[in-house]
Amino acid sequence: MSALADTPHSGFSRHGSDAYVANFSESESQVLINLVEQIIELLGERCDSDSDDPLVAMVGITSHDSPPDDEVLLRLLPNAYGDQVAASEFRRYTESTLRAKKSAHALIVRENVKSSTDGFIELDRKGANAWLGAINDVRLALGVRLNLTASGSQELETLAADDPLRGVYAVYRWLGWIQQSLIEAFMEDAL
Amino acid sequence: MIKLEEKSDSQLQDSISLERPWIIIVWDDPVNLMSYVTYVLMELFSFTQAKAHELMMKVHTEGKAVVATGSREEMERDVARLHEYGLWATLKHSDSTQ
Repeated sequence: MSALADTPHSGFSRHGSDAYVANFSESESQVLINLVEQIIELLGERCDSDSDDPLVAMVGITSHDSPPDDEVLLRLLPNAYGDQVAASEFRRYTESTLRAKKSAHALIVRENVKSSTDGFIELDRKGANAWLGAINDVRLALGVRLNLTASGSQELETLAADDPLRGVYAVYRWLGWIQQSLIEAFMEDAL
Repeated sequence: MIKLEEKSDSQLQDSISLERPWIIIVWDDPVNLMSYVTYVLMELFSFTQAKAHELMMKVHTEGKAVVATGSREEMERDVARLHEYGLWATLKHSDSTQ
């Protein structure tokens, strides 16, 4: 996987008024599918299995009102308030919706990549937005695993060749590059 | 962008606006790309690119920035949308210390 960082990548570019296209190699496609599936799985671990009340389930009230113990889940599903009581209340009413939206973004990426036989991906604006959200969630998750801090990533730049984190960091940077190419394609609209 | 419907009861609206407003703070984090934060702020709040860039830079250099002000209901809705796109955002009373 670390080879990803050393090969030139074709990110997204804009075609016409509402099409964003990219070509992914077979290994890149596999990495993408694998990573978004991990996000779907992680979010699924926090599903509301103990909600017996159909009305509660219908209006999206979750059984969770405490923040996730898992650091990655906490970053994906953060507290909305500094005040813990308010944060719990907000989480109880909104977390399941947030999880559903994030899962939906990840599923769109998974389906797009899986249904492409040659690695060619074409997205409309809505699909591209889902990709941005999903890729960002993967980057947030990898960022927690890489223990990224605000002070920067100098240590990660100089990891030994056999350090397992080196490959993770390469994927993390690659995803950032894909994201950047999509945003630049969007920004053409704004000019 | 979904726009709120016009409030039919202007008196109610006046009384709400007299209350202390709620604010959304976006916090700096080491993962989100600067271009992505700018993009999300443009998408969610219909900011111009210049305004979104200015707020993003404030988050980047000062560690946080207030990106929206309004009723608690509106701010809760917008914080949820910021979370959907992975920005680290919280809301609070404008004069709360928390």
